[in-house]
Amino acid sequence: MVATPLLEPGLLRRLEALALQVRRSITGQVAGERRSRRYGRSVEFADFRSYTPGDDFRLIDWNAYARLDRFLLRLFVAEEELPLSVFVDLSGSMDWGTPNKALVARRLAGAVAYVALAALDRVRITVFAQAPTSGGAPYRGRRAAAELFQRLQSFPVGGTTDYARLVWPIGRQRPGMSVLITDGLGQAALDPALAALQRARQEGAVLQLLAPQEIDPDWSGDARLKDAESGEEREFTATPLTRASYLRALEKRSTDIAAAANRRGLRFARLSTGQPLEDMVQRTLRQVGLLR
Amino acid sequence: MSFIAPAAAFLAVTLPAILALYFLRIRRPTRVIPALHLWPDQIRDRQANVPWQRLRPSWLLFLQLLAAAVLVGAAVQPALPVGATLAHHTIVLLDTSAAMQARDVASSRLEQAKKEVGSLVDELGASDRMTIIRVGAVPEIAASAIGDRDLLHRALDATQASNGAGDISSALNLAGGLVRPGEDARALLYSDGILLPIRSSFGEGLPFPLEYHKVGVSGENIAITALNVRTNAQVRAAFLRVQNFGQQSRQVSLEWRADGRLVDARPLTLAAGQAQDLILAVPADATAVSAALDTGDLFKLDDSATAVARAPRIFKVLLVTPGNVFLQQALGLRTDLQVDVVAPTAYKPATGYALTVFDRFAPATLPAGPAMVIDPPSTSAIAGGATLGIGRVRAGDAGDPLLANVDLQDVHVARSQDLRASTFGRVLLSSLQTPLVLVRDEPFRQALFGFDLHESDLPLRVAFPILMQNLSEWMLPPSVPSHSFQPDEPVTIVPDAGTQSLSVVRPDGSTRSLTAGGIATFADTDPVGLYTVVQSAGGKVTRSWFTVNLFAEDISALKPVDRLTLPPVRPAAGLKAPHHGELDLWPWLALIGLGLVLSEWMVFHRGL
Repeated sequence: MVATPLLEPGLLRRLEALALQVRRSITGQVAGERRSRRYGRSVEFADFRSYTPGDDFRLIDWNAYARLDRFLLRLFVAEEELPLSVFVDLSGSMDWGTPNKALVARRLAGAVAYVALAALDRVRITVFAQAPTSGGAPYRGRRAAAELFQRLQSFPVGGTTDYARLVWPIGRQRPGMSVLITDGLGQAALDPALAALQRARQEGAVLQLLAPQEIDPDWSGDARLKDAESGEEREFTATPLTRASYLRALEKRSTDIAAAANRRGLRFARLSTGQPLEDMVQRTLRQVGLLR
Repeated sequence: MSFIAPAAAFLAVTLPAILALYFLRIRRPTRVIPALHLWPDQIRDRQANVPWQRLRPSWLLFLQLLAAAVLVGAAVQPALPVGATLAHHTIVLLDTSAAMQARDVASSRLEQAKKEVGSLVDELGASDRMTIIRVGAVPEIAASAIGDRDLLHRALDATQASNGAGDISSALNLAGGLVRPGEDARALLYSDGILLPIRSSFGEGLPFPLEYHKVGVSGENIAITALNVRTNAQVRAAFLRVQNFGQQSRQVSLEWRADGRLVDARPLTLAAGQAQDLILAVPADATAVSAALDTGDLFKLDDSATAVARAPRIFKVLLVTPGNVFLQQALGLRTDLQVDVVAPTAYKPATGYALTVFDRFAPATLPAGPAMVIDPPSTSAIAGGATLGIGRVRAGDAGDPLLANVDLQDVHVARSQDLRASTFGRVLLSSLQTPLVLVRDEPFRQALFGFDLHESDLPLRVAFPILMQNLSEWMLPPSVPSHSFQPDEPVTIVPDAGTQSLSVVRPDGSTRSLTAGGIATFADTDPVGLYTVVQSAGGKVTRSWFTVNLFAEDISALKPVDRLTLPPVRPAAGLKAPHHGELDLWPWLALIGLGLVLSEWMVFHRGL
């Protein structure tokens, strides 16, 4: 049996034209394609400083020496890698809807990660439900994409969402960019995780992924409702009034997450799994300023 | 409160049935959802298929129980007792005479009466029956002993006021015929009391109690009570009488028209109760004249009047007599008769005479037409037997219209032929010894007197010219009577010889065709105004006119009668089991039920 590729080759090619958009300079461990607050080797001039012994004499500005009779060293903006952390919610509530939220979350995470990999950025994947699970060593370069995709597809789905337990792995991140993909429907509050992102000097985005059947419930009548995460059951009669009440609660949930994200300097986008992945990436994520 | 259909209470079993449905649990399919906590805690049992569960309070349950209870309540048809006392058979005598058009109460007296009767219809019990009789010039049954309220309401709605008088006597006779012996019946008369006097004796009394419900309050009215036109060589004028029947002085304006053209207009001031006579000019070429008052009062019917201004047609009469001043004088009283007098010896049968009067003479054969033969010679074929001595004269039939106003109190006859064996016709005047005057309709209207007028004091009495007038009018009714008739009064029309078609055009422009063969009776005279009689003979069309006006002071007086003298009630008659009327509550309950069902649907739809 041939496994379905997470992302189609055509899509991957188009993703290479995109780049993560960073609002402030970041510091990486190896040279990348990102401006760093450190001075380094690149073509972008940053400043002069006086030469001190030991400096690379290749950086001495000889024209300045001719005019000023002083050794001045040309400084360039170091172009470093961007540490990108993608947190993917694979709790029980994500294994729901058509198209399946977990599947779309994996593809979306893969797409964002691929954009970073294509720019030689370092990508770390963490999936979480009740507890976070690391996706292994950071990935870098396009060649790592296949492994990253395979890893993304290998994680099981299930369990209860506990955003509080994301605080520890987030705290370990170097300053960089984080993308949190979740449906935001867990009973636990999302705010501790967002606060941790802020503390870890992460910029990035919270992408709330919902199924079309959540955004517009297509069922009514009597049912025994069963929570996909907790397994809790309740007898229920769906009526236009209860539908309206549910939609209000869902809207409030989204609004709360968006407000909390904005408070923490994070972007927010609500996405539907009914939306084509390319549309999500090319349009929505560019609109919120995550990609360019 | 009573229940018309108590058996329908068995439908109350629906209440525990609904409740039982709520005790049963629903078999619900399991549905996995991502976030149970976003859904409100809402549960409602709409169908049940698994026993049993604890009953949960629910708006739906409450509304369904309430709706079922109300509908069961409607099904048993509860009824509240109301004011009216009803019999098993209620006869409503609804006055539709002219005065009921008065608008002194809301809309009109008739509408007010219809409203009251309508309320009574609504209060009829399940087994009650009602008859509605319209009391007009000719009473008619609008609904006969039915309990269907819709039909009764429809009969009421179709009831219109006429312009004629209300014949209560005929209506009571009609109502009496509708009541079976021993039936529990009761009659209610809705009227203003302005009705024709009760003429039937009702000696045995009415077979039902009769209750008078007065309608109307006011008698304020100004009316034209008379309009006569005199058109002869000396006089061509109209005599008009206007009367104020109210309690207040009134100022009105009068318009006087000839064939629709305005001839005169003048203001009139009439004190309370005052009548004013006016003489008004009639143009020479006028066919009809009319007077109209601008009164703005409660009753319009008597605010206008119309009269024919054309002279009537002249009839030629041949009097064959050796000499009789009494006859000549009596016949000459009719202005439309032209009397030619000849001696018996000069008599020749002649056509062209509408009436021939033979005095102490009889031809071999009577003319083919109206004729009077007075004391024919004994040689005549129609003569009676030997002469008898007679005394007082009496009527053959006191109710004969030919003896109307003829007072026979002091009339005597000395001698008369013995007409006992005569087959001439029916007896008009008689005596102890022999019939004195015979009349017949066939083959022609003719009369036979068995005595010589000179052998009697009849010509010296007032009765004589009246009798002659009655006889001549019976034999020669005016072709088209030019005087005014009362609304709904039949009009006799004698077509001219050779008339092929005969029709009457009413004031509203509608045309009624009549049979042209003989004397026609036209009774479709409810509207007031000018009627045109159109006769067509050999391509020649002739027109003549008559008018219908109210001219009834008792009606124009308008004041409703507080107490009406009604015929006595037969001792045995009475309410056997009087009961109150019933007001059905089921329509209201059904309406509430419908509202509850709608509310239940809305609650269900909105998911409350």
